Amino acid sequence: MIKNKKILFIIILAVVALTLGACSGRRVVATGWSGITVNEETVYFSYGPHAYALNLKNGAQQWQFPAEPINGVDFYAAPVLADENSQLLVAGYDSVLYSVNPANGSENWSFGSAENRYVAPPLATEEGIFAANSDNNLYALDFDGLLQWEFATEDPLWASPIWSENCGCIYQASMDHYLYAINPENGKLIWKSEDLGGPIVNNPSISEDGLIVLATFNNEIIAIDEENHQVEWRFQTSDWAWATPVINGDQVYASDISGTFYTLDLQSGETLWQLQPGGGIYSSPLVQDGMIYFSTDTSSLVAVSQEGVVQRNQPIEGKLYASPVGAGDKVLLAPSESDYFLLALKESGVQVWGYPQPE
Amino acid sequence: MWDAFITLMINALLFIYNLIGQNFGWAIIIFTVLVRVVTYPLTAKQMKSSKAMQDLQGSKEWNDMQTKYKNDKEGLAQKQMEIYKEKGISPFGSCLPLLVQFPVIIGLYQAIIRTLAVTPIQLVNLSKHINDGANLIPINSQFWWMELSEPERLPILGVAVPVLAILVLISSYIQTKMVTPPGGAGDKAQGAQMTQAMTLYMPFFMGYLAMTFASGLALYFIATNLATIAQYVITGQANFKNILPKLPSFGQQEK
Repeated sequence: MIKNKKILFIIILAVVALTLGACSGRRVVATGWSGITVNEETVYFSYGPHAYALNLKNGAQQWQFPAEPINGVDFYAAPVLADENSQLLVAGYDSVLYSVNPANGSENWSFGSAENRYVAPPLATEEGIFAANSDNNLYALDFDGLLQWEFATEDPLWASPIWSENCGCIYQASMDHYLYAINPENGKLIWKSEDLGGPIVNNPSISEDGLIVLATFNNEIIAIDEENHQVEWRFQTSDWAWATPVINGDQVYASDISGTFYTLDLQSGETLWQLQPGGGIYSSPLVQDGMIYFSTDTSSLVAVSQEGVVQRNQPIEGKLYASPVGAGDKVLLAPSESDYFLLALKESGVQVWGYPQPE
Repeated sequence: MWDAFITLMINALLFIYNLIGQNFGWAIIIFTVLVRVVTYPLTAKQMKSSKAMQDLQGSKEWNDMQTKYKNDKEGLAQKQMEIYKEKGISPFGSCLPLLVQFPVIIGLYQAIIRTLAVTPIQLVNLSKHINDGANLIPINSQFWWMELSEPERLPILGVAVPVLAILVLISSYIQTKMVTPPGGAGDKAQGAQMTQAMTLYMPFFMGYLAMTFASGLALYFIATNLATIAQYVITGQANFKNILPKLPSFGQQEK
């Protein structure tokens, strides 16, 4: 009897340990969603312990990086091609930015001076590589992975830096509520926005005539003029605006996490139409062949005409936090909590292939 | 139900965090003290039960029974249970309130991790638990030398020392010893066995958790241990004699 009690006691302790482990932030590491990049015949994506290269036609795996999973190393940011497609940049949750050979996945170099996760994909321009890290810093590297400069903000950077032709600068949005314009040559601040009222976790979009449009957790879509750096308009959403707004001609497609999808007039920020198909929206829409595709976290891919008429609301297994990506006449989806890491659909919604979770 | 409990904890944590100038470490400590106040009836029951057990085990009736049944384990156990029943004492009275607190520990840990939200999925989950508070994000998870969302290590002379885990182990040991009734040398009662096992294993178990999981949990353990010790001291029920291991007296050695 006494022995049984001791065993019961130890079992209780073990259950508590397992329960805590199951809900911990550090030990359970499936905490992001996949990012996808497409180049001609190859699709690159990251999810969990690997970045993958697949054949776009049939979804056959070409390689995975690293070859074997490494404890504590995970990847979620979209891999980025750099240096005339001779390098593929893979940003890790282990604070390391890796450059791998896009042809075979072998490692070229790694940059390990950051101190936190890379949530955002890096930016690669002709001038170099710019990688935003959750340690609040933007790192500029040359194509050999050598640090050129770093730029500090007040809070973590989850948004990718973006390049602007208009100002010849880099824009970096931060969770500290500000948008920074940075000289790509030396990392000096060119200008900084006013306090935008809430954290920004995704990169802005820039229109051809120099309007920067971004989403904030202060339930707002905000447009800023690149020339005078002033806020041109603000649009109130019903909840946190998470995803990057997409500019298509004179329209802006935006969303919030309560699941409302908005089409706004680019110049005025006024609503043209909106709809709420159900579920929260965390990802940017894809505009392809006159159709708008967006996904919701209640597992549906919604296809809408540019006039706001829902053409299809297609259930997909898993949760759709990642943005749909266009690849020719295909739409690529990276569902979370699904049997498939990646799905390729025809524009009609018919599945072409699926890349299953490896055993 | 559980989700509602977590939501309540997260919003309470965020409220305190905002109230005290956005310091998550102090928010955890203050929240822990509040939880101790709320769960005081359980603690009081535990203290009362421990005291009753202490008094019983020091009584002549108890010692006579030990002597009488020293060669009859079954008889001793049966007689002990009769006495427990007669006196209205539960042999698990000092253990059960501790076990009841496990859901609170797990809930608080989930609340801490979900509130810190250092990854996108965690932030998605947090967004479903809070109605307001976007301006509090990202949560400032730095507290002294600690990153509260990560296991803690303090580099001392080039060695990464788990300072919090050591403090958790020590404070858990002191706390469990302080609240545990001293068992007699021949005491084989099941309740006492359980309590002794708990006294032995619990500090190491807590230390292991503190070393392995986010340091926010370790901070909670230390705060709750110190709060418990303070409660016992304030109510005059602290059993300081129990803290140091008992050494056999010369008289006993001569025997």
